[in-house]
Order: sequence, then C-alpha cells, then structure tokens
Amino acid sequence: MPDHKSGRDRATRRLWPALALPGTLWLIALFIVPFYAVMAVAFSGQINIFNEPIPAWNPLDWEFTTFNGVIVDSFTPSGVYHEVWVRTAIYSFWALVICMVIGYPVAYYAARLAGKRRGLVLALILAPWWINYITRMLAWVNLLQDDGYVNKFLGLFGIPPYSWLSGSSITVVWALAYGYLPFFIIPLFASLDRIDQRLLEASRDLGVGSVRTFLHVTLPLSRMGLITALVITALPMAGDYYTNTIVSGSPHTNMVGNQIELFLLEGPQKNIGAALVLLLSLVLLFFMLYYLILTQRASKELTR
Amino acid sequence: MTVLERPAVAEVSKPVRRRVPPWRNPWRRPYILGAITWLYIAWSLLPVLIAIQFSFNDGRSRSVWQGFSTQWYCCNEGSVFEDPSMFLALKNSLILGIATVLVATPLGVMLAMGLTRWRSRTSAAANGISLVPLVTPELVVGSALYLVMINLYQFVPLGRPAMLLGHVTFTVSYVLVIVRSRLLSIGGEYEEAARDLGASPMQAIRTVLVPLLMPAIFASAMIVFATSLDDFVVSQFLFGNASNATVPILLYNAVRASPTPALNALATILLVGTFLALILTVLVLKARRRGTDESALETLADWG
Amino acid sequence: MSFDPNDPALRRRRPRPQLARRDVLRGGVWITVGLGAAPLLAACGDNGSSGQAANGSAPYPLARPDKPVTLAIKDSNPPIDDGLDPETGGTFQILNYSQYMAPGVMKAFGQKHNVSVEVTPYNNYDEMLAKIRQPGQSFDLVFPGPSVLSKMVYADLLQPINHAYVPHLKNVWPEYQDPWYDRGAHYTVPYTIYGTGVMYRADRVTSVPEVGYDLLWDKAYSGKVYLLDDRQEAIGMSLLRNKITGDINTSNADDVQKATDSLIELIGLVNVKTDVNAYSEVPEGTATIHQCWSGDPIAGQYYLPKGQTPEVLGYWRPAAADYVVGSDNIAIPKSASKPVLAHMMINDLLDNKIGLENFGWNGYQPPLTKLSTKFLTDEGYIPKNLSNSVVERSDFAQGRTFYEVSPSTEALWQTDWARFKAGA
Repeated sequence: MPDHKSGRDRATRRLWPALALPGTLWLIALFIVPFYAVMAVAFSGQINIFNEPIPAWNPLDWEFTTFNGVIVDSFTPSGVYHEVWVRTAIYSFWALVICMVIGYPVAYYAARLAGKRRGLVLALILAPWWINYITRMLAWVNLLQDDGYVNKFLGLFGIPPYSWLSGSSITVVWALAYGYLPFFIIPLFASLDRIDQRLLEASRDLGVGSVRTFLHVTLPLSRMGLITALVITALPMAGDYYTNTIVSGSPHTNMVGNQIELFLLEGPQKNIGAALVLLLSLVLLFFMLYYLILTQRASKELTR
Repeated sequence: MTVLERPAVAEVSKPVRRRVPPWRNPWRRPYILGAITWLYIAWSLLPVLIAIQFSFNDGRSRSVWQGFSTQWYCCNEGSVFEDPSMFLALKNSLILGIATVLVATPLGVMLAMGLTRWRSRTSAAANGISLVPLVTPELVVGSALYLVMINLYQFVPLGRPAMLLGHVTFTVSYVLVIVRSRLLSIGGEYEEAARDLGASPMQAIRTVLVPLLMPAIFASAMIVFATSLDDFVVSQFLFGNASNATVPILLYNAVRASPTPALNALATILLVGTFLALILTVLVLKARRRGTDESALETLADWG
Repeated sequence: MSFDPNDPALRRRRPRPQLARRDVLRGGVWITVGLGAAPLLAACGDNGSSGQAANGSAPYPLARPDKPVTLAIKDSNPPIDDGLDPETGGTFQILNYSQYMAPGVMKAFGQKHNVSVEVTPYNNYDEMLAKIRQPGQSFDLVFPGPSVLSKMVYADLLQPINHAYVPHLKNVWPEYQDPWYDRGAHYTVPYTIYGTGVMYRADRVTSVPEVGYDLLWDKAYSGKVYLLDDRQEAIGMSLLRNKITGDINTSNADDVQKATDSLIELIGLVNVKTDVNAYSEVPEGTATIHQCWSGDPIAGQYYLPKGQTPEVLGYWRPAAADYVVGSDNIAIPKSASKPVLAHMMINDLLDNKIGLENFGWNGYQPPLTKLSTKFLTDEGYIPKNLSNSVVERSDFAQGRTFYEVSPSTEALWQTDWARFKAGA
C-alpha cells in the first residue's frame, strides 16, 4: 500500500507539470519572446533602405539612441510625442470618471437592489459585452452625424446642431466611456454581489442612513472590485487608437496608440513604434503589477 | 454613535408618525439608482438598436430614415450577400472564432489544472506570468506579435495562422482564470477519491474532474468565442491581406471610407449570430446546472 | 543578385556623429546606405544612369524626366515565359487603394477566370510597402507610382512584365509606353493620371480664393476640412502654398519642418483630418473642403445623396506651373501566385472598353489615347462644372511631380509627418 501510494504521488507529481507545460510553452513562445522582439526592434541600431529597423537580437548590439530620444520627446513639454501622452492620460482619466459615476450605481443596483428583475437587469447590462466593440462605435457614428438623431433630439430643445464627429475631444471621451463601461461594470458587479447582505442589514437595522452605510460598509468591501474594474478598463483604454479614429480621426485627438499604429503599420520607422510600445508597457507595468499582486493575494485568501 | 442619537432625539421630540424624509429612510425603494440603471441600459443599447434599424433603410443614408427595405442584406448590389468581401469577412470571423475556441479552451483548461494542482515555486511564477496577458493592452500584445512574426517567426505567414496564434495567446488567460476559480472551489478531494478507487491520474481527470469543470469550460469557451469575434486590434496587426479580414477589420476600414447601411447589416448579422451562440450556451449551462444555486448568467458574469 | 534586407552587406551602423539631438530626432534615425551598396548595384547589372538626391544617396537609381531610368531585368528575377495558361481557382489578390478599381471590372474578370478577386486596401505608399514586404504574403497586382518604383525593383518586390501578354499597351499615350521612370515599361504599365487640388462643396463655399489651398486654412469650415493622408501630398502642398520652396522633393530639413509647422496650424485652426476619401466625403457632406486627387470630383458625382446634382461639387486646381501631377502604375509583385492572370488583368485594364468602364466608376483617367478629354466630356462622363479636373498632356509638360528620393530624405519627411500626426 505505501509503495502504491508513493508511486502514485510520483505519477501525479509529474502529471500536473505535464499538463501545465503546453500552455506555459505557448505563452513563452507567443508572449515573452514577442516582447523580446519589441526590445530587439526598439534598440536596433541599423536600418535598411526602407528605413525599417533591422532587429538587434543580441543584447550586446543594443543601441538606445532611439529609445532615449523617444523618452525625451515623450516627457519634455516641447517633445513631439508629449501631446499624445498628455491626451492619453486626460482622456483615460475623464473616461474613467464617467465609468465610475455611471458604472458604480448601475453595478450596485444590479447586484443588490434589482430584486425580481435581477436576471433581466443583469442580462441587459451584459448584452453590450457580446456586441462587437466596433459595431457599438459604428452605432454612435450613425447617431452623431450632422443630420443624425442626436442633433435632431437636441433640436427639439432649440439647441443648434453640433458637428460631433469633427475632431471633438468630448466625443472621444464619451465614446471611450461608452465603449469600456460594460467591462467596468462586470467585475464591480461580481464584487458587490459577494458582499454579505447581512452586513448591510445590520448597518441599516442600527439606523445608519443609506449614504453612511454605503460609505462605511459597501464602499470598503467593494474596494477590490472597484480597483479591478479601474485597472481592467484603464489598461486597454491607454492603448486605444481605434475609438478616436472612428469618432474623430483628427490629429487633434490622437493618443499614444495612434502614434504606435502609425509607426508600426503605416510607416517604416518601426523602431520608434517599438520604443513607444515599450514605454507604454513600462508606464502600464506599474498598474499591472499592482493588480496582479492584489489578485494573487485574493486568490491566496480563497485557497487558504 | 452620533448616527444613533439623531433618530432617537427626533422620536422623542416629535413622537410617532413623523415620516422619515425619503433620503433618510434606509428601506425606501431605490428609485434613483433604478432610474440611473435603466437610463444606462437604454443609453448602452438604443444606439445599437438604431444601427440595426438603419440596416433596413431604403436608401444610402445611415442617419436619415427613408423607409423599410432588406436591400442591404440581399440581392442588391452592395448588399452583404452580394459583396464577396463582406460575406468572406463573416466567414473568416466565424472560422477564426471557432478555431480559437478549439485551441484555447483545452490549452487553458490543462494550464489551469496544472497550475492549480501543482504546487511549487515554478508553478507560482508560471501562474503569475499566465495572468499577464489578461491585463496587457491588446495594442501591446498585437504589436509585439506583429514584430515577432515579421522578424523572427517568418515561417508563420500573416493571415489566418498568425491570427489564430494571436487570438489564442490573449484568450487562453480567460480560460485559465475561469477554470481555476472553479478548480479552487471544488478542491482536490474528488480526484483523490477516484485515485483511491484505483483510477489512473488521467482517468481521474477524465471521469471526475472534467465533468465537474464542465460549466466553467463551457462558459470560458463562450467567452473565448466572443472575445475572438470582438477582437479588432490583434487581428488588424496580423491579418496580412484581404482574404483574412474579419468583420471588425472590414467595419473599421469601411467606416472610414464610404460606409453604407450594408455595414450595419453586416454588424447585425454578426450580432444575431453571437446572441444565438450565447443563448445556446446559457441553455446548455442551465441544463447542466444541478445542485448549484448559481445561475448560468452569473457563471458568465463572474469571469473576473 | 537578389536583394535581401537582412544582407549583412547592406547593414550599416548608424553614424554616431556629432548630430545635435534635434537632428537625430527630426532627421529620423537613418543611415547612409549609398556607398557600400554601390558595388552591389554594379553587380546587379546595368541599372541605367542614376540620379542622385542632393542629400544622402540611394543604392537604387532615382529617376527624373531629364534623367530617365531603365530598370534592369535581372537574371535572378526573369519575367514569366510566353504562352502560359492562366491560373484558375482560388483568390486573385490585389493590393490597392480602396475603391480604386470598378467592382464590375473585378467581378467580370473573376467570373471569366474562375477566381475570386480581393482587394487589400492601403491609404498611402508607406502602408503599401509595409504590406507588400510582410514575409509570406502573396499579392498578384499592385499600383505603385514612380516615387516608390525604383526602390521596389531594387528590393525584388516586383517582377518584370512580359509584354507578349500585354498587346493593349499600344493603346496608351506614347510617352507612357516608354516612361522616364521605367524605360521600356519593364516593370510597369500606366493605370491612371491625376493632379492634386482641392475638392469642395460649391453650395457651402461662397467664394474660392485665388490660391484655393487657402480654403483649407479657412476657419469658417472648421471640422469639415481634410488633408490627403499622404505625407508627400500634404507636406508638398504646404511647401507650395507657403512658397517655402518650389522643390516638392526637397531634402532640406528646414523647409520640410516649416511646411509641416504650417500643416500643424491646421489642427488648432480647423481641426483638420486626414484620409483619402474625398470622392465620398464631399458629396455626402462629411467634408466641405478636401485636398484631393483630380479623379475624386469625377467619382464624387456617383456618391451624391438622392436629389442632389454634381453642381454642389467644386474642384480647384493650381495654375499649370504649380500643378502637382502624377501617375499610378500597375505592376506585378514578385510574390504573385497568379502571374499569368496578373498579366491578363493588366491587358484588360488597358483595353479601351474596360478602361472606360473602370473610369466610369473610379473617376480616374487612364492615359488611353482613345479616351480623350473631348470624348469623355462628350459622352457625359465629366460634368461641366468639373471639367477642370481633367488632366491634359500640357499639365505634365509644365507641372510638378513627386519623384523618388533617397532613404534619408524619406526619413526626414516621415518623421515630420509623424510630428503632424501627433497633433503637437
């Protein structure tokens, strides 16, 4: 029996790593190596007649002239890319504010108050998640035309028509908020849903007003969900380039993602594009690490 | 404590019957939150419904209603089924989505089993790394894959093979997260029991673990499918040529060129297809759900 | 001798010179490829007389009307043999601007040869080059202008044309049967000719200034002003409008910078946008002012909403001496999987009837002798008020053209264009 048991343990011990192997190899080959390729291109010191960088696979060949130049141009006020970074930050910030102001109440209502209609509310809130992102943007392009429904609606109140699609920052911020709200609401919903109803009832039974209950009980308990929601929306938003292209298309509203797309897909200077990708990743790494540490901690609590 | 005093004082000075003002009443119906939620739902879905409406427009305009017609769906020049590129894009999207599910789901499930049950320092590291794609902006994933494919993995032609690799890479983490949370909640006892009864490790997985994981596997397959259909960024970087363009790529290019209601029709078809697949999944999940009080929708919602 | 971009012989260390930081950033990171590649070039056979740009040199010949170039046919990259049967089945893959070839023409071709014809679109040559150079890609037809041609041939991206399959070449203007950028039409045949001007909504624009480009800088049309999404066209236009220099192929960094600064003004002034869709956006009203190619107004008449007539469209073109004119060519990529079919499509497009059908859809004149201005106007293809959008032979005699320039000059333009795109 003991023999059998130990043999079995050994078999199992080999089994689990074996199961994890293909996925791990996949992620190494298609996530980590590609990242290295970004560095090899960003730190390339040679270009060909198409002005395309020749990747420097050997770290000893790395040259940081381009990368340093991109850093200087990104973070000094007179730099070429300074504006796109500032815009990325401002647009993401306001879009996230809108997400919070609208998303929190909605998630709260769906998770705790919808009562009998809970299933319906949840289904409707989840619906946009299953609708193609570009389709949802396309829908707004229809509405925001000069002779579209939005201007017609505003016309009812005597508001003169506005060219929403003519490179307006406001349109871009709202489009971002609209696009990412479903992704914001869902993790928040999940965390609000987990809060023990009895805690809230206790608070209310003690005569605490709903605002105070919210501030002192609900909000702290949903902190983790809120952070997840913020991170999960902020990261892709910072790398967005299609939303503003669809609803604006003006250089006036271009973000860092547009600049990356320009250099990588529409131009030969891929080393500058790769350097911007690296820089964006470094900026976002802070948020990613924070989020990963939080989730690791949470999953440890679960397994304990 | 101060909170408690106030209602008490009020009761003493003006005894009985004095109605608590609605904003003080912790048990009042959540009218305001309800209103916000329903307004949000209207805001998030109405534009899409209007876009669907315009797919039936009897004219070129996507902002002025000119009467009902199905000319943009079929049998007219420029309609979805007459325009080979649109029909092709629809086909490409579906093939890619299904292929991604077929690769990413088993890969992710195996990874989840391996990483969850195999306890070591390596697995902890692998665990952390495997979550990174989940929080990496698609732009970063897309550009890194693009640079590695054109510079290093030149044997992988851009197009469907490259797109498949890309889609699997960023969806496999979804499978991992969903399946792992289920694995953590069911614990290791069932497999142990199966092993004690003489099952081989593989048998234990096949006969005990996989059936237990089925709801999570279904949910993650569905999410992988939807994510793949929804993806624009990774596809745009890797699609190569028009033969492999997916619906989002076509929509994005066309919305910038000369859009017609045929685009709305195309988007509508994709949307209807996605929802049919979704309903199917929900039904399957419902049928499989035994003894758990989790609703199918919530299984899907709970992915975060 | 084939060209391999990764060939060590072509690798040059970027000069690590006393360039000011500003130069490094503005001039882009580039290398002088010229010197070391000269022997290589010689090994490639007789490449004809090669023009040299003022700044930096190119390993490939730079053609000018007064310094024509013969693009040599290399032994390693021969044309297809005579008398081959056309390929059938599968996909015929075209790399082209979107909406630049009539769907009817493509459909008829596809049905005749049992292939499905697909178009992979690009907005400008930079994007086209990025796509055609992707490893493992196969395209059967591409439409490069003279400004990228020599480089593409040098890098073995194109294959020579076997004239035996293209008898219709005799239909085109004689000068295009033996053009200055490709003597003997070894690698290209002409597709369309055009000039660059400004398209506008005549019902919204009350008066057109003498220099029509000023319409772009007019605050009254804010939000409805578009530039061509093409660095040469946009920066070149700014060079001319601001009289910075008459050389629209300049390699002078200050000139390019000044021209770009002037374009950047447009961002704050009118919220300018960039694309190449004047033909649909002006008629549909999305754009009021759109820098455009002369084919756009003619195609625009087919995109008007119901009930509107071509009178709502207007086209302004500069005086002959400042008119930027050009031509697009048809070429066959080296990677073509259906080269025989590609030759057949080329021959079809040079057919008077098919050429006319194509023109009737895309609005861009093919330089076919039979399709004279008079013929096109008489047949009603060109609305009276847009008759100035026809390109004449005289325009080519007097006007200006974007030439192929050295990699370093390209990098200069690319970097400034990116600066404009950053909206800084």
